[in-house]
Order: sequence, then structure tokens, then C-alpha cells
Amino acid sequence: MSKMFDEAAYLARRAANEAKLTDAGVYGPQMEHDACGVGFVAARDGKPNRAVVDAAIEALQAIWHRGAVDADGMTGDGAGIHIEIPRDFFIEHIGRTGHDDDGGRLAVGMVFLPRADLAAQERCRCIVEREILAVGHYIYGWRQVPVDIRALGAKAKATRPEIEQIMFSMPADMDAVAAERELYLVRRRIEKAVLQHMITDFYICSMSSRSIIYKGMFLAEQVTAFFPDLLDPRFISSFAIYHQRYSTNTMPTWRLAQPFRVLAHNGEINTIRGNQNWMSCHEDRMASDLFGADIEDLKPLIASGSSDSAALDAVFELLGHGGRNLPMVKTMMIPEAIDVSGDSPRAKLYAYCNSVMEPWDGPAAIAAYADGWVVAGLDRNGLRPLRYVVTHDGLVIAGSETGMVVVPDTNIAERGRLGPGQMIGVNLAEGRLYKDDELKDALSKRRDWGKWVANAKPMSALLASSSGKPTAPLAPLDLRRRQLMAGWTMEDMELVLQPMAQTGKEAIGSMGDDAPLAVLSDRYRGLHHFFRQNFSQVTNPPIDSLRERHVMSLRTRLGNLGNILDEAPEQCDHLLLDSPVLTVPEWDALCRYLGDKAHVIDCSFDNDGTDQALTDALSRIQAEAEEAVRSGCEHVMLSDRNVSETRAPIPMILATGAVHSYLVRQQLRTFTSVNVASGECLDVHHFAVLIGVGATTVNAYVAEAAIAERHGRGLLAGLELADAVANFVKAVEEGLLKIMSKMGISIIASYRGGYNFEALGLSRSLVAEYFPPMSSRISGLGLKGIASRVIAMHDKAYASDVVHLPVGGFFRFRKSGERHAFDGQMIHAMQHACDTGSFESWKKYSELVNAQGPINLRDLMAFKPAADPIEIDRVESITNIRKRLVSPGISLGALSPEAHETLSIAMNRIGAKSDSGEGGEDPARFSLRENGDNPSSAIKQIASGRFGVTAEYLNNCEEIEIKVAQGAKPGEGGQLPGIKVNSLIARLRHSTPGVTLISPPPHHDIYSIEDLAQLIYDLKQINPDAKVCVKLVASTGIGTIAAGVAKAKADTILVSGHGGGTGASPQSSIKYAGLPWEMGLSEVHQVLSMNDLRNKVVLRTDGGLKTGRDVVMAAMLGADEYGIGTSSLIAMGCIMVRQCHSNTCPVGVCTQRDDLRAKFEGTPEKVVQLFTHLAEEVREILASLGFASLQEVIGRTDLLTQVSRGDAALDDLDLNPILVRADGEGELVSSRDAARTEVPDTLDAQIVVDAKLALENGSKMQLSYNIENTQRAIGTRLSSHIVRRFGMTGLREGHVSVRLRGSAGQSLGAFATQGLRLDVIGDANDYVGKGLSGGMIVVRPSAAVGFVASENTIIGNTVLYGATSGKLFAAGQAGERLCVRNSGATAVVEGSGSNACEYMTGGMVAILGEVGSNFGAGMTGGMAFVYDEAGTFMDRVNPETLTIARLQHPHWQQVLRDLVAEHAAETESLLAARILNQWNKAMPNFWQIVPNEIVPILDMPLTEDDDLSKSA
Amino acid sequence: MSSKMLKFVSTAKAMPDKRSAAARVADFDEIYGDFNASDAETQASRCSQCGVPFCQVNCPLHNNIPDWLMLTAEGRMQEAYELSSQTNNFPEICGRICPQDRLCEGSCVIEKGFQSVTIGAVEKHITETAFAEGWVKPAAPRIERAESVAIIGAGPAGLAAAEMLRHQGYQVHVYDRYDRVGGLLIYGIPGFKLEKSVVERRGKVLADGGVQFHLGVDIGTDISFAALRDKHTAVLIATGVYKARDFSAPGSGLDGVVPALDYLTASNRKSLGDDVAAFDSGALDAAGKDVVVIGGGDTAMDCVRTAIRQNAKSVSCLYRRDRANMPGSQREVQNAEEEGVIFKWLSAPQAFLGDGTVRAVQAQRIHLGQPDATGRQVPEVIEGSSHEMPADMVIKALGFDPEDLPKMFGHDGLDVTRWGTVKIDWDTMMTSEDGVFAAGDIVRGASLVVWGVRDGRDAARAIDNWINAAVAAPKTAGASR
Repeated sequence: MSKMFDEAAYLARRAANEAKLTDAGVYGPQMEHDACGVGFVAARDGKPNRAVVDAAIEALQAIWHRGAVDADGMTGDGAGIHIEIPRDFFIEHIGRTGHDDDGGRLAVGMVFLPRADLAAQERCRCIVEREILAVGHYIYGWRQVPVDIRALGAKAKATRPEIEQIMFSMPADMDAVAAERELYLVRRRIEKAVLQHMITDFYICSMSSRSIIYKGMFLAEQVTAFFPDLLDPRFISSFAIYHQRYSTNTMPTWRLAQPFRVLAHNGEINTIRGNQNWMSCHEDRMASDLFGADIEDLKPLIASGSSDSAALDAVFELLGHGGRNLPMVKTMMIPEAIDVSGDSPRAKLYAYCNSVMEPWDGPAAIAAYADGWVVAGLDRNGLRPLRYVVTHDGLVIAGSETGMVVVPDTNIAERGRLGPGQMIGVNLAEGRLYKDDELKDALSKRRDWGKWVANAKPMSALLASSSGKPTAPLAPLDLRRRQLMAGWTMEDMELVLQPMAQTGKEAIGSMGDDAPLAVLSDRYRGLHHFFRQNFSQVTNPPIDSLRERHVMSLRTRLGNLGNILDEAPEQCDHLLLDSPVLTVPEWDALCRYLGDKAHVIDCSFDNDGTDQALTDALSRIQAEAEEAVRSGCEHVMLSDRNVSETRAPIPMILATGAVHSYLVRQQLRTFTSVNVASGECLDVHHFAVLIGVGATTVNAYVAEAAIAERHGRGLLAGLELADAVANFVKAVEEGLLKIMSKMGISIIASYRGGYNFEALGLSRSLVAEYFPPMSSRISGLGLKGIASRVIAMHDKAYASDVVHLPVGGFFRFRKSGERHAFDGQMIHAMQHACDTGSFESWKKYSELVNAQGPINLRDLMAFKPAADPIEIDRVESITNIRKRLVSPGISLGALSPEAHETLSIAMNRIGAKSDSGEGGEDPARFSLRENGDNPSSAIKQIASGRFGVTAEYLNNCEEIEIKVAQGAKPGEGGQLPGIKVNSLIARLRHSTPGVTLISPPPHHDIYSIEDLAQLIYDLKQINPDAKVCVKLVASTGIGTIAAGVAKAKADTILVSGHGGGTGASPQSSIKYAGLPWEMGLSEVHQVLSMNDLRNKVVLRTDGGLKTGRDVVMAAMLGADEYGIGTSSLIAMGCIMVRQCHSNTCPVGVCTQRDDLRAKFEGTPEKVVQLFTHLAEEVREILASLGFASLQEVIGRTDLLTQVSRGDAALDDLDLNPILVRADGEGELVSSRDAARTEVPDTLDAQIVVDAKLALENGSKMQLSYNIENTQRAIGTRLSSHIVRRFGMTGLREGHVSVRLRGSAGQSLGAFATQGLRLDVIGDANDYVGKGLSGGMIVVRPSAAVGFVASENTIIGNTVLYGATSGKLFAAGQAGERLCVRNSGATAVVEGSGSNACEYMTGGMVAILGEVGSNFGAGMTGGMAFVYDEAGTFMDRVNPETLTIARLQHPHWQQVLRDLVAEHAAETESLLAARILNQWNKAMPNFWQIVPNEIVPILDMPLTEDDDLSKSA
Repeated sequence: MSSKMLKFVSTAKAMPDKRSAAARVADFDEIYGDFNASDAETQASRCSQCGVPFCQVNCPLHNNIPDWLMLTAEGRMQEAYELSSQTNNFPEICGRICPQDRLCEGSCVIEKGFQSVTIGAVEKHITETAFAEGWVKPAAPRIERAESVAIIGAGPAGLAAAEMLRHQGYQVHVYDRYDRVGGLLIYGIPGFKLEKSVVERRGKVLADGGVQFHLGVDIGTDISFAALRDKHTAVLIATGVYKARDFSAPGSGLDGVVPALDYLTASNRKSLGDDVAAFDSGALDAAGKDVVVIGGGDTAMDCVRTAIRQNAKSVSCLYRRDRANMPGSQREVQNAEEEGVIFKWLSAPQAFLGDGTVRAVQAQRIHLGQPDATGRQVPEVIEGSSHEMPADMVIKALGFDPEDLPKMFGHDGLDVTRWGTVKIDWDTMMTSEDGVFAAGDIVRGASLVVWGVRDGRDAARAIDNWINAAVAAPKTAGASR
């Protein structure tokens, strides 16, 4: 930056932009996400020493790559360190203030004061002093902390606070714990008092007599430069917690730098909304002798605007001061995944914890200090890495990576890692290190938890003992009327209900949602249509609810919630349900059992034809609920069963929200459960909404009656009625898990009342009243509108004695049903225009489109010309415009090879880009056809399944797209039904023919924003030219996520809308998740502009774009490039049969059947014609608006105007939040033609130079280097050179051998190709051999280490993720998810964490030691061997898809023996040598694990018996 | 989604058995058999269950075809019937006589490559099953309304409207100048396409449901139009179009040159057992004659095939365009050819020759020229191609025009178009007269039965709306229930 940074101007512009965007709901501090590197160093003996502090500072300097740098290149996202107060140091400063050491307990407060406003600064000082003096302590004075602002970036400098320390003295005889508790109260009082003075830029980092926190907005390596204090040798400590932050946003927020008062957190709390809501409920009943009346000073516990980590810290702090020790607090708040119905003492401990409060769920590695404990711990999924080293000289060093503190090999006593839910702790007072088992055993023994939790009564007991008259079944006509009233159709019955009852699964559908948004529909749409499911992307991962089911639970406690500070048996007096879904008999049993403790509230109202009736009814049920709870009822039962000819139903979502929010406001919610019997509830989404807005349990009695009715008609063949209902419940439960997992939430208790939705089209005031924490940006339907719709449906249901359900048309077009963006006429018109090339015909088509009723938000807008029209000749060329068009990712597999190639050829012909989708591409397509056509997709997609992703694939493209989420089903992975996996598809995907492929919801190497940065880094290494694109789906908060993505050095950000297509997906996902791209795109564009990041990336959008008008509108909303998916299929002949998942596409577009592929009539010409028409239409529009190029209108929302506010019955429909504009730093400059954003060089820059001979003339070479953990993706760039020069198999194994000594950074050998051998002596971090493409990696400890290699951790998490070929040998244990999605590589390790071999489809793995839980989940290909000396394997394996047996056939015994021998030879492993030495004794300890699917197709049978029977 | 569907990839199309040409020309019975239950299920299961069902899109009634095909495939016949009858009052009739190859089946997405689903045959099967099982019930309105509606014309449009209005509880009076219910269904369409018992069965269902028929009543003669209006709350004109379009060539006044409808009516009456003098005299009987039928529409097809069944000596069809450009159903042409009809494509009559009685048709050959503005190729006479075709009987099947309704009704206030059709506002289906509605061919000109049904349904809805709005007392809460 040549010009001077104008601090004042920056702050003013930033403030104005923030205010503008916050008003429009596009931005809010709560939307920010962060993640980071974290860790602690502790003296094992608990004695303070300088080495601890030095190690922590060293560690901070070795995790810079996990943080982010702002656009100014200097401002970090924050870093800090938490250590003991060095008394000597401060006593010296006290002396300078003219005081003597009074021998008291020295306390220091580290305070951020307002810097610019001196008056405010002084007021803050007064408040601080006042509150300290109020409790009778003696103040020494203030010390201005010396800082060097040269260490700050411009923005951090502009926003920096005045940093001071207040030093004061407490009575020396005061109990340490009591002193800290008192300081906690003092701090809270100060904070509240300052807020009352309307001062917001005041913050206390720490105020303690034990420890102090130095933190700020600098890069981690600048910590000592900024705070020279830390260099003072008197700074000694028995522990140090350190943290480096990576924030998605770039407004330097000093207070959000970590560590916080207790903990430092790497990850994201997915359940934060639910947790915060419940915490405010818990506050009502919170009481403790330790606080007495002072407890009121603590409320509200969680300050508004807190980050998730800050909120987590606040509760940690409370529970700690409330009497629980740090390990117990961690156990309670971040429990491990365990079946709490088990009998082990540990299960009982967790059962107790569960009944006290909801877990705080989400990726979390924490390091915490409180009350003499230093603890590090992980979340239940182990979604963040945590490695540790114990040294011979008494240090325990734990952190996000191994190698952050360099420890000589000879000093290492142990190298370990934490598994899911585990923790490690040092009790500083005792001077003792505790491992996970020791900590939890101790906690388990503290009380007789088993006896306590036995107080809980299970549902099964209720059902067994229940007797009485069951609820009468609904009469047939009554049932029909209720169905009709709920807006149900035949389609719902056939397409939604039937599959659930018949198969226990949700139905699968295909293609995108092209029906109108609920708020734009002219038909009755249930209230659940207005709730869009939230989902995780980038900053936190969804959970794989299919393969990591064991971490999830729907267990529901029924009963009032107690005092969370208490620890008493009564806390366990609950009813225990396995799930929140109740059947009618269960509901009956519940009502009978609860008797007077339950109060039924009638949720119907007299239909007098007025709107007021509904409003009154809502007030009535709220009052009834309050009355019931105040008179001692513990269960509120909301039911709309009472509807009749005169009484209409209150939509139960509204009733539930009204009662829940009202009880919360009245501080009564924790005293009761809220149970809902809803006649309208049918699909899983509806259940999810009810629970999400506060229902404890849900009973869908009309759905159940409909099942009974169908059963009576013989439509559920082969099923007893009870089984059919059970199937339905199972489908709902699986669906709930899926919906929760999209948010990364494991436990229903943390989902309940979490409002994990975005209201789309609901009135703002309605949402504020009944669904308070949700946002509803564009407003819409209010109470009045709801009332009139409900009444109309009620009238209709009783208008006649003959009641037919309408045929439907929501999922598939029906003339009498919902409108669809593509109808028959339009399809034909468009195809005609593309077949004939007639622009006139195209215009006819686009007139049809424009004449439609509104379907999308953009349909409510029109262009507002800013200038006179110009001649069309002056507008840029078709060729130019076409280059901005993209055919978005549709996999080969979903598409037939013909259709897939046709798209690529067409896009290449016009210099535009096609996207391969996730499914690989035949290498034959990487060279030109004879006629010059290029059938290779310009964009290669890399998605969570990593199907067909090889070094070669990644090197044959201009751009690599990381698909984080997909518009049709954000939060879920792609699906390819087994029926479409023929031999070609299976070959390209390295999977087994005929086996359904469902990609994992998360990328297992992106659990967090810094992980994404790492993947981008890896991809930029494996392809030195390609740009990297990150595909996101529109959601609230996507703007800040995109800011984080831009900081991760992505070149392109794709914002997909909910209308995007899919080859196969659950129907409810297609319909109810994700937002329109208009909202997402606008938010991304604005937030990037605000953060001066917009010019660094290309913005692309897709999801239902059809015409030139759509393209221009997308441009005005901020997009540079535009994806046209469904339309490009239609141009090739697709007629929207919507049977892509059935493999029966009659036009050969979406099928793999040879006979149907033969029907394909698409041609590149037709596709080219489509894009030509689009471009021509864009030119026309631009000319009419007076612009000569698309570039000129990008981001120009001022050229758009809202022309319709929707239906008259709506409160309002306000698109202003989409049209708001933030001011950027300067002119918008397109980065489309700019070079890609480069990432720092890795060691390979040197290796490539040194390997010149090998790369030039193929000579064999051996190289050698020392390495550190900051050197990442070693071998990847070299592999790119190899594959480009020699191809995938051109060099022989080990042709270029690279020897490395030290701790390798993440992604060691990512995408390494055949010919490269990496030999590490030391250890390695996460993602070793990611996408391995034929290379060989060997990791082994130095011969100098004193430990037993096989008992220690040598490689990190997620090793060989997506590997397709190659070998890995590691002499030591691996972390979690070893070989996840491996589809061809061979590996030998000596132990592994949980989820090893998850969803493997190929390759061979031998594990010569213990494995963690959930081994082999979803494995459908390849083979594994596990050496099970301890006999634990069968408890750890997930046997669902597997055949598990001892090795019986000599062939396989020999295969294994050869593998172990190779391992021994490569690594000099002592364990392997021992096994080989005693082979016959060891062999019986091995298990052979083979997926059922491939047993019949193995070359050799598993047993000799089979051999005989085959040959016979 | 039912696993029973999408079987087109493995199951071939099959129609119900069609009687052999030799057998079927011997009588006037329908030529197609019925599916048995299992064949119907199998054929229905071929449906692709499209996301955009073009069969429905291109059906004038927008029948929910994929849905009742699915129900049929699953053996859920009663539900299939309920659904099918919700959008169509006479599915058993449409199933028989709709030109499916130009509508639903012609639009079926598997038509190309797999041959379409046999939609019409399944539709017929569904309703025949319903009749056999007793599921077809007369209207039984929940409340009887005082308002009455007069419907002029007992054809498809009138009957459809009548039934819909009865469901709403209106008193429905249908007036027709003929002596039977059905209009063209009974007298126009030959029995080999639609057996008369099928139409009579429908008439009975309506009568049992309380529709009151006044047959043999001519409006304007037997009752004045004004009287009708006084007597009823609303009037629906659904008279159809009956005036034969003529051909002004020399000799068109000769004996033996007859209009199609006269010819078909005589034949149908005869089949129904009536005494028909003109037939018995031989004037409208083709037996032993060389018959030439002029025209290429469905009526022409009905005429040629009737003539075959009357034992004509020869039957030829003269049409000035070619096979691909004819308006009639290709399926009917095929049936006619099988039965022995000779088609003279690209031929136009020039004159009818004879002395008092026709003996021959003088015809010319035609060449199809460049397309005109409508996109159809213009027929051009090939000079010097005149030739004679022997003919004892010439049937003019050139289409129908409306009669002069204002004159017939003695009511000038009724606005008509320049083609003579009754002018309506398509949104309200109302004519220029308040409370007088019109539907069917008299509005749109000669068209398909299925369009008549559609218009009748639309008219019934419009009449209901109008009566509720204009006549009924303002709605108060609860009163409507």
C-alpha cells in the first residue's frame, strides 16, 4: 500500500458498513467464526520455571500457519498466552508506584481500556477501583503495559486499546479458591457497571491472584515483540496456555483474542444457539451456597456478542467457581460419546452429566487452566487434533501439532495424542500427570452415580405398566379432513409417508427444487416450509450420521431441569425416552403415568372467520401453560386433536414456539417439558422444526392414523401395523439425526430449542414474538396471513362430505399443484431454441419464463436503468460474456459419459468452463480428440468422497473446486445409487460395482477454517497453475465464512442457491435446506467488500439460473461468473423426468444403462447454442440499461428495484437486506484475469531445485533435509512435476528418494505419485498421504528415542484420506480416521485411533496394534488386518458391512506376512520383527476384515473350504 | 416411490386385443377388447412417473395420468377410479374415443424409443372396473340448493356441466332436441368406437343423480329462450355445432351426395333399433354401393368405417393433403385401412357427376406447396390431373359450422362471432347475456369430446361462482358449512 493508512477513515468506514449490514441482517458479530492452534505447556512437578514460558512462546511461533493474515498483510487474528503471575516482577513495579510489598496475596488485572476516549478511559479506571475497593482490597496502582506497536498491522493498530494492569493486594490468609471466586464476582460487577455506562470497548483479559493473560491482535510470532514483558526472565510459570486465532472476519476484535479466563479453544461450538438459550433458562434456577445472593451479579452469564468460545469459557468459569473441578467441568460440558445406558461406571458418570445440562457440541480442542489444574481435551468426535509430548526433564507439551516445540529425541519420554472425548491433565498442586482413564476413573468414583441415575424411569417401563383405554382411532372421514386441513396431498402420502412406513427410510428424489419459495406460493404451505435448515460449512463440519452414528443420540429426558450448580441425586429424577418421537400408545402411556403432573392444552380455536381468533388462541394457550406450570405441573401437553367442524387448529409449530418462548420469558421453561401432538406433522423436517423451536417430544397422530388406514387397505404388504409405525418412527429418527448432523450436532438435547433454522418469508415481528433468537431477514407472512390460510383450509375440509386429497405437485409437477420454474411448455420452448439456434425462439422462451408467477426472490425485482440505452453493437461480445458462464459440477456417474463429455466439449469450445463434479474422469479425456475437441473438464472438483481424485486428475485442469456444500443438499455428501455404479463408474471411482456410494457429509480434512486453508495450500502445491475455488451454499452468515475462505487464499468463491440440482438426495433435503443464492451472494459480496477482500476473489453463483435476466441480476448482486446447470441438461435433451436416481432416464442424460445411453441426442452444438442465447440476451439487457459490459454492473444493487411485495396477505416482504451496499476500499476490480493468489513456498521449492536431474532426464536421486512442523505438504509440488513429466506410472517406486529428519508438517506426501519415496525420521502431523497417488511414505522414530515406538503416536489424524494408490509404513500409532475413504493405498501402522478404515472402498491396511472405536464403518471395498493381542478388536469394530474372521486361507496369510515383512524392512520396526519372528504364534491374533460386498468377488476365497467348494 | 413403476425399460408396450378386421367389419361392436386386470397393471407399470408429466400437460382435462397409472399398477383400482373421475366426468368415454396418439400418449416421454404407455386403454379399464364393482355412484349432494340451471344440449359439454352442478346441489335441467341423452356421443360416433350402451349407462348415472332431462324439446320452438331464462337461475348453452360445412362444387345437389352427420345418425339410430325411413329407403345405406367420403378428419374416418360395415361395394376417402397432414387420428386411419378403405391422399373433388343421382366424382391431384403463415403447406392443384372416380354415394365430411343460434332461439341479444360461434368471456364463461353461459363446440367450433368435457366443467365452476356471488345471500361465518 503506497498511500498512508488513514486510521480514522478506516474506522469510520468500517463502523458505517457494519451498521448498515447489521441492520440489513447480512452481518452480525455472532456470525463470526474462528478456529486456531491451541495448546499448553506444563511443568509436570507443578513448579514454576522459565522453560515452560519459553516453550509456549516457541510453540506460538510454530503455528503461524494455523492463523490468518488480513488483507493488509500484517494484522493477525489474534494470539495470546496465559501464565502464572510472576510475583517478583510485579513487586518491582509496585515499588515504582511508591508502594511496598505488603506481603498480601498479589492480584493483577490485565485490562483493555478505551484508547481514544480519555474520559471513558478514566471512568473505567474508577469503576475498576471502586469494585475492588468495595470488597476491601488494597490497590497498589495501575501499570501501563509496555507494548511495541510496530508489531501490529495497520488495522490492529487503529483499533488497539490502552493496555494496563491494575495491581492490588488481597489478604494473605485468604483461601486461594475463595479469592479467585471473589475476583470472579468483582470482575463481573465491573463488567456490568461499565456496560451501564454504555462503554463497549472495555475488556478485562484476566483478573486473578494466580495467573495473567497477555493477548492481542498480532500474529502469533509477534507475541514477544508486542509484549516485551514476556521476555523478562522473571516470567516463570508452572503452566502456559497459548493460542493463535484464525477468524473468518477481519475486523480486529481485541477482546476475542484468546486464551480466555479459563480456556483456549480451537474449533466451533455447533450447538451454541441451543446452549445459549438453555443457559439463560438455567440461570432461573441457578443457586449455590458458594455465591449466595451474589449469584445475581453473574447474570446474564453470557454477554451478548460473545463468540462461541467466549460463551463456552463463561460457562466453564461459572461451573469451576461453582464447585466443580476442571476435569469434571470438561466431562460435563464436552462429554465423550458413550452409550449412557451402559453399565460401566463411566457410563453412569456421563448419564449423570447428561441429566444436568446439555453438552456443548462441536469441534473442540481446548486447553484450560483453573484451580490448580491444567487440562487439554477434545470433543466427542475428535474433530481437532491434539498431540502431546512428555519429556524426561519434566515438561508436558500439548498442542495442535507435533513438533511445535522442538525437543531433542533423547529427551522424549512419550509421544501421545488425545482421542475423541479424551483429556489429559496436570494437577499442579500434586505435581502429577493424569491420563484420560485416570481422570475419568477418579470422577466415576467420586459419587455413586449409578444409584443416582437409577432414579430415571425409562419409557419401556411406562409402556409395560400402562393400562387403560387407548385413544380412539380417527374415523375415516375425520382422518381425511385432518389430512386435507394440514395441506397434505396424495403425493405426500405416496412419496413421503409410504416409503417411511414401508422401508423405514426417507424417499430419495433428484434434480433441484424449482417450486416457489413458500412465501411466494399461492397455495397453502405448512409453517415448516418457512423454516430452512441450517447446516455447517467450512468453519465446522457436519457429522457423518451414517458412519459415525455412535457419537449421536436422540435420548430425551422428560422432567424439569434442576440447578446446574447442584450435585444431588434429585437431578436424575427424569423420564428417559430413547427418542423424542412418540407413538400414540406411548403418548397415552405418558399421559396416564404423569396424571396430574401433566396438563393438556387444547391448541384449536373457534373458527369465527376472523383473524383475531388465532391471536387470541395463542394468548390463551400461553396463559394456560403459565398457569399450569405455576400451579406445579411439570409437563405441558399441547395437542390439536380437538379440531372439529367448528374448531380450527393452531399450526403446532406456532403453538410450540409461542409456549416455549413465553415460558422462557417468564423464566418457567426449566420447570416443564413441552410435549406436542400435532396433526400436521408428517415429514422429518416438520419434526425437526417442532423440536428446534422447543418441543420436548412430538407425536404425529394423524400420520400414524394415515399409516393405519393404508395398512388397512393392504398397502403395507408384509408388515404388521406396529412394524409399519415403527418403520415410520425409525425413518423420522434417522432423518432427525441427519438434520442434526448437518449442523454438526450430535445430541438432541443440544438441538432442542436451538432454532437452527433461518426463517425465510416469515414476518419479522412474528419471529421476534414467537421464535425470538431466529432471524428473518426479508420478513413476510405474519399472524394475519397464517390465520386466513388456516381458516381457508379448515373451511375447505368441512365444505363437503366427500373429501379427496389433492393430487399434489410439490415434488413433481402436476397441473393442479404448485407452480414449477420449469414446466412442459418451457422445456420444449428452450429445447427448440437450442436445437434451431433461433434467437427469436429463445426470446419466446424467456418471455414464458418472465411471465411466470414469482418463484424466486429475484422475480420480485426489476432493473432500474441508470442511463439511456446504448446501441447493442457497443456491448462486449458474446464470446466475452460466454467466458463468464460455467456448467456447474455434475458428476460422471450421475450423468452418462456421453452427456458429461458433451458438456465439457461444448464449454471448451467457447472458452468457458465445465465442472467435472465428484466422480473422477477417464484419463483418456485428458488429451484432445482427433477433431480438436477437448473433452477434459476445465474445473476438476474435489469433494468429500474424493472419488477419482488423483494427482493426474488434479493436474489436468485450470481450476480445482472444493465442494464444501451442494445447493440441493447442503450438509450432506453426494449420492450415487448402486444401480448406477457399473464397471466403468466403479473403475473411475475406485469402488465396487453395484454398491451405492454416499460421500461423507464432511471433508475429513476440513473440520475447521484453518483446515480449509491447508487443503487449498495442498492443492496449490499439487497443481502449480490452477486456481482454487471453494463452493459454498447460501446460508445466514455465509458472508463471514466467505471472508475466512478468501483469507485462506481461495481464488474463487462459488455461492450456490438452494435450487441447485442433484442426482439423488433425500426429498426433505432438496426441499428444506439452504437459502436462495440471491441472499447468499449479496451477503458474500457485501461482507467481502466491507473487509476489503472482494478484489481478491472471483465470485461465482449458481442454482436455478435460466435466462439473461437472471445472469444480469446475479451480476448486480455481486457475481463475476454464473453457473447454468439444469438448463444445460435440458439443452442436451433432459425433460425433467426426475428419475436420475432410478437409472431410467429415457433420454440418456442421467443413466448408465447402455440401452438408455443410446437414446442420448445431446450435442455440443446445442449446449453452445444455449450459452450463446444467454450471452446475447445479456447483451440486450446491458444495452437497454446503458452499459457496455457485464463488469460495469457487478455489485450495482442500485440498478435493482423491488417491484412486488408479494401476496397482499403478507405483513411485508422486504428485499432491502439483499440490496444493501457496503462501501469497499476502492473500485471493484475483477480478479478473473489476475494470476492466482500464491501460497508460501514449502520445502519442495528447494527439493525441486535439487531434483533437477531427476525431473529433467529421469535419473534416480536421493535427497536429504531437516524439517519442522511448519513445512507442510512436503513432496506434493515435486509430485506435480513428476506426474506432468512422467505420468502416473512413468517412474518406478522409490525413483526419487527424499529423506527427512524432524517433525513433518501437515499433509506430508499429499497426492504423492509413483516414483517418489518420502522417508521421515521423526514424526508427522495430520493428513499424511492425503490423496496418495502411488507414492511411498515411511515414517519411523529416530533410533535415539527412549520409548517403545509401537506404544507412541507417530502420525496424526486422517491419514491416507482419499488415497488411490501407493504405500505408507509408519512405525508407531496413527491418529483418528486412519485410511478414511482410502480407495487403493496400502498401509501398515502399529495402532490407530477411532474410525479407522471408515468408508474404505479399496486398498489394504494392516494395523499391528490396538484400534479405536468404530473401526471399518461403512467399509465397502479393500481389506484390513488387525493384530489384536489385547482382545479388544471385536468391541471396537463396526461390523455392519463386514465379514470378520481369523485368517484361514494360506494365500491371505502369506499376503499379510509379506506386508508385515515389508513394514519391518522399511521401518526397522521392532514390533514387526517380533511378529515375524513368532509368526505362527502371532498369526492367530490377527483378524481379517473384508467387506461383505466383495467377499464373492475376491480373487481368492477367505477359507480353504470355499476353495474346495468352488473347484468342485 | 413404488418399486412397481418405471418398467418401460424392461416391459414392451401391449394394447388390449383388437379384433381382426374380418371379424369386426361384420358388426358395429367396439373393435378393442378390455385389458384384464393383470395386463392393465403390467402396462400401467411402464410409466416413468415423470417430474414433468407431458401426458398431463397435453391433456385438455389435465388428467392426473401418472398417478392413476401408479395406482393401477399397484392394483389400487378404486383409488385409481376416484382420482381419474375427479378430473374427468366420462373417463370410460375418453378412454375409448380420445385421439390419445395426438394428446397424452403422443406426449409420453417414453414414446420415443420405447413406445408410449397405453394410457387410454388403462383409463377405460379403470372405469369399466369401477362400473363392474359398483364404485360409480350417482351424485348425492350434501345439500339441495334452490337455484336451478338450464342446460341446452345433452352432449359431452352439457352433461359434464350437469354432473358438476349436481354435485354442488343445484337443480339441473337438461334440454335436448333429440330423443336420447348423449348428443354426438350417441348419434354421431359409431358404435365400433363407442358402444351405445356405454353412453346410455352414463345417462342413467346422471339421471339417478337427479339431473332432469327434457328430451325432444327444441328451444325457440317448444319453449322460448326467454321462458327458459325466467324459469332458471342460470342457463348454459351447449348445443354443439351441427350445420354441415358444404362444398360448393358442381353437382353437389345430386341425390346420393349426403352430409356426414345425417349418414352417421341414420346408422346409429338403426343400431339402436329405431325405424329410420331414409335408411330403409336406401338413401343413407351404403350397402352395395361405391362410396366416396370427402374429408380427412375423424368424422370422415367414422363414415368410411361405417360404410364398410354396411357392406359397401367399395369405400374411398378423398383428402387433399397427405397422410402426415391430415387432422384425424393416425390410429383411425390404420384401422380403416385394415378394414379395406382406400385412401386417396392429395386428391380433391372438382365436381360430382351424374344425372339426378350421383355416379362419379371428378377429382384432381394436389401438390403441397410452400407453407403459409400458419405453417401449413398450401395445397395446389396439379393442372391436367382431372380424373373420375365411380361413386353411388358421396359423403361430405368436411366439418361442421354453428347454426344461427340467435335466430333459432329467437333471441337477438346473444352475441356471436363472425364464425357464428357464441361469444363468451373465457374467464367467466358467460355470454353477452347476464346469467347465460356457453360451453363446448358452440363456443370453440367443432372440436374433440375431451374439450367439450373440459368446457362443461369450466362452465359449471363459473356458474357456481356466479350464483354464489350474485344470487346467494352474502356468506356469513359458519353458514356455508
